[in-house]
Amino acid sequence: MAATMKLTRLEGKMFLRDPIALFFGLVFPAVLLLALGYLFPGFDEPVEELDWSRYIDIYAPIALALGVATLGLVTLPPILGTYRQYGILRRLRTTPVHPSRLLSAQLMVHLGVAVAAAAMAVLVAVLAFDVPLPQSPLLFTVSLLLAAASVFSIGLLVGAVARTQVSGQAIGMAIYFPMLFLAGVWIPRSIMPDGLLVVSDLTPLGAAVQALDDTWFTGSVDPMNLAVMAVWAIVIGFLAVRLFRWE
Amino acid sequence: MAVIEVTDLTKTYHGQTVVDGISFSVEDGEIFGIVGPNGAGKTTTVESVEGLRTPDRGSIRVLGMDPQSDHYEIAQRVGAQLQESRLQAKVRVGEVMDVYASFYRNPADWRQLLERLGLGDKSDAKYADLSGGQKQRLSVALALVGSPEIAILDELTTGLDPQARRSTWDTIEEIRDSGVTVVLVTHFMEEAERLCDRIMVVDRGSVVAIDSPSGLVDRIGSEQRLTFRPSEPVSDEDLESLPGVMSVNRVGSRIAVTGTGNVVHAVTALLAQRRIIAEDLRVDQTSLEDAYLTLTNGAASPSDLDKEEN
Repeated sequence: MAATMKLTRLEGKMFLRDPIALFFGLVFPAVLLLALGYLFPGFDEPVEELDWSRYIDIYAPIALALGVATLGLVTLPPILGTYRQYGILRRLRTTPVHPSRLLSAQLMVHLGVAVAAAAMAVLVAVLAFDVPLPQSPLLFTVSLLLAAASVFSIGLLVGAVARTQVSGQAIGMAIYFPMLFLAGVWIPRSIMPDGLLVVSDLTPLGAAVQALDDTWFTGSVDPMNLAVMAVWAIVIGFLAVRLFRWE
Repeated sequence: MAVIEVTDLTKTYHGQTVVDGISFSVEDGEIFGIVGPNGAGKTTTVESVEGLRTPDRGSIRVLGMDPQSDHYEIAQRVGAQLQESRLQAKVRVGEVMDVYASFYRNPADWRQLLERLGLGDKSDAKYADLSGGQKQRLSVALALVGSPEIAILDELTTGLDPQARRSTWDTIEEIRDSGVTVVLVTHFMEEAERLCDRIMVVDRGSVVAIDSPSGLVDRIGSEQRLTFRPSEPVSDEDLESLPGVMSVNRVGSRIAVTGTGNVVHAVTALLAQRRIIAEDLRVDQTSLEDAYLTLTNGAASPSDLDKEEN
């Protein structure tokens, strides 16, 4: 237990010493909302094409989901690839501590950062743009954690099969962008065609955006969205653990 | 008492037998060297001992235990320094030592350990800022932080400059002097000769010889050759009649005498007796390098390969 705690603290420090991960993983969702809100005229005004809701209200949950995806698919896989490439996992195998503890440590750090990033983005939305606080903080948090679990397990699977830092980065990116698209980063879900919407509903990030949106603004949630994320987390997580190579 | 016993170890990768029936034992308190050409199976052998590889056949006992089923207990008592393993670029030396120390039930005082390995002032340095020699010594420190009874060091000095290599050798001797059994996988005959009590020569997955460094040299005979320029003429017959002399050759004003046993002493004594000065005297003895080359059937010496690679 002491070893896991120390490993988690150490990996946390490693994360904090990486300015790029720190920017994109921790502060980017909040910065994105600030940039959108202040740079795009009318972003925080109700508009007709959105049934008189505001772009900022739609983008706030998207920014959160984007933050989770960035952590799980952009920062996590290359770290795992590096640890395999450098022989850090192999070195751990010669110690009494199993290298899986390093993975747990890494996941805990990423989860912690995801929660902090979401909190910052919510704060920005609430304070700068008069977005209400999440109507159901509990369901909102559950949705966020499930989003992290599903996306991180995909990142873990990428890290499980990527031999090096570079291949981890490449595969992660190849999943990241389609996933952002389906989550409505470029075309909001409200104007997606029906067929695309069904696909979006079945992706972890599409389900995440919808669950975060609902719990934030209505306080209720479609159990289907939670189930989609849970299934991704369990199935992909299981695969990742089975396929994980320590060297 | 043997702390490591390996019997008939065999390991095959993709239909190719990398280790083919290797047997050896390592005695408590010795420095045991494993040498051989690249791809001879050295690393596979030690990684099997460390429990990182599962042998296809044969048995391995480490401190009386099985590396697979007693992995945890062995990991507590055996420290390993792996070939080509790095750490996170931004981790500080003290941080990683502190974390690794927490893995063991009897951790060494890691500050003292760093001090002993000449890294005492590097506790706050980032891994990326260390020199090659310092990184290797940190790797040794990590292998020793659990106060192991056995330390397995794989290619510890490969890639180090001669000075760093020599200071690493001192470190290994200190480790042994503190009561730790050392298994040393190496590329360098000079290193094996200087450090090892016994050396196992491995070639193409099999053990060619296990002996002390001088024992290995004796196995292939101890022919010696001395060349010199005499200050006064000396006849071939006089030299040939000396005990142990096998041949005498002249190249210009130089004389080359080949022989066995005390031939060097016999020749120099004769010259001294006649008040002849042997100018430009050179003696070539069979070295461990020669023995190694003979034993591995003239396969290119690993240190030659090294020179080519560089």
